[in-house]
Amino acid sequence: MSASAAGPAAPALVCAFAVTRTPPDPAGLAAARGHEEGGALRVLRAGDLCLVVQDVPAALFGEEALTERLNRPEDLERCARAHHRGVEAAAGRGPVVPLPMATLYRGDRTAELAVAARRPVLDTLLARLRDRTEWAVKVHASEAAPEAPADAGTRAGPGSGGRAYLSRASARRRERQGAHGRALAEAEAVDAALRSHAVAATRHRPQSERLTGRRDPQLLNVAYLVEDARRADFTAALARFTADRPLPGVRVEASGPWIPYSFARWDEDPRPAPDQETPS
Amino acid sequence: MTDLDHRYPGQETEPYGPPSGSLADLLERVLDKGIVIAGDIKIDLLDIELLTIRLRLFIASVDTAKKAGIDWWETDPALSSRAARDALAEENARLRERLDALEGAAGETTGAVR
Repeated sequence: MSASAAGPAAPALVCAFAVTRTPPDPAGLAAARGHEEGGALRVLRAGDLCLVVQDVPAALFGEEALTERLNRPEDLERCARAHHRGVEAAAGRGPVVPLPMATLYRGDRTAELAVAARRPVLDTLLARLRDRTEWAVKVHASEAAPEAPADAGTRAGPGSGGRAYLSRASARRRERQGAHGRALAEAEAVDAALRSHAVAATRHRPQSERLTGRRDPQLLNVAYLVEDARRADFTAALARFTADRPLPGVRVEASGPWIPYSFARWDEDPRPAPDQETPS
Repeated sequence: MTDLDHRYPGQETEPYGPPSGSLADLLERVLDKGIVIAGDIKIDLLDIELLTIRLRLFIASVDTAKKAGIDWWETDPALSSRAARDALAEENARLRERLDALEGAAGETTGAVR
């Protein structure tokens, strides 16, 4: 364990943001801020991999303290944004593998070992994410569906892949040829069109009306991994749906380019699920 | 926001974004991670990473995230930490030992052979 550079004798933990093979520019790193309560962002080395970290006070980032703080919405948001800033700072010169928020180690040595121990997965991910960005796309029904709005979300539980969701969606369409079914079909058409310009796609759970603040249910919440060279094609396809609205039953919204969080899970086999990867 | 990152240029050329603008999108990304499984790691990292794991489970139990509509863990079978599995396996082993001992003792008294 190396001594931390935090305040005088304040016990510190090491908060890790992201792994990269391209060390960020020192000036850029110095200008960036992670958690407001912590020290300067710095880089640990594990072979040729770099881990961007920050010393944070144990009094605020210990398990109990952090749990309590993350129970407060404003602190949860501050933490999430600080984590994102740390990840962005790591991504200045090349691909990164973002770590989950609040990945904390007791010291530099442990953090380095954790990275070294996951070397193969990290190598694979860094190669896969090079020159690619993530785009978040949400498809909403244009008008409130006649059934309970939560229906589309709750039935598509995690662990049910896109295929399961689609087959359920198709079944529902067969049951009732209503507006909701048509909207779902249109959402699938949007997804299919965008997928053709993406390397991979993965679905997040549709967000609840409480979260979106809208009455029209969210039908699809998809992240696309897009090759930089094909970004113009992808955004052009996206613009057709967001601006021209060729499909009357749905409204499409997007944000991006994101650092590819949704395709950078270091804690699982980076080979995509069969229904995830689309041949480019 | 300072533009440190030439690869994620934000809005100059893109009509979309800002990528970190939506808290929901951000939480979805920074929290939507499975459990760290340090399966083949011999060194003692696990208890440290359990901090993160337990933390995520704690987050899972609070209203905050639910209010935000982030409730992916409620039905996520992946949210059983390795630690919990280890504890179960250990308990299982202990119970088997006791069972063997008890059966042995029972066998001696009844003469039954298993």
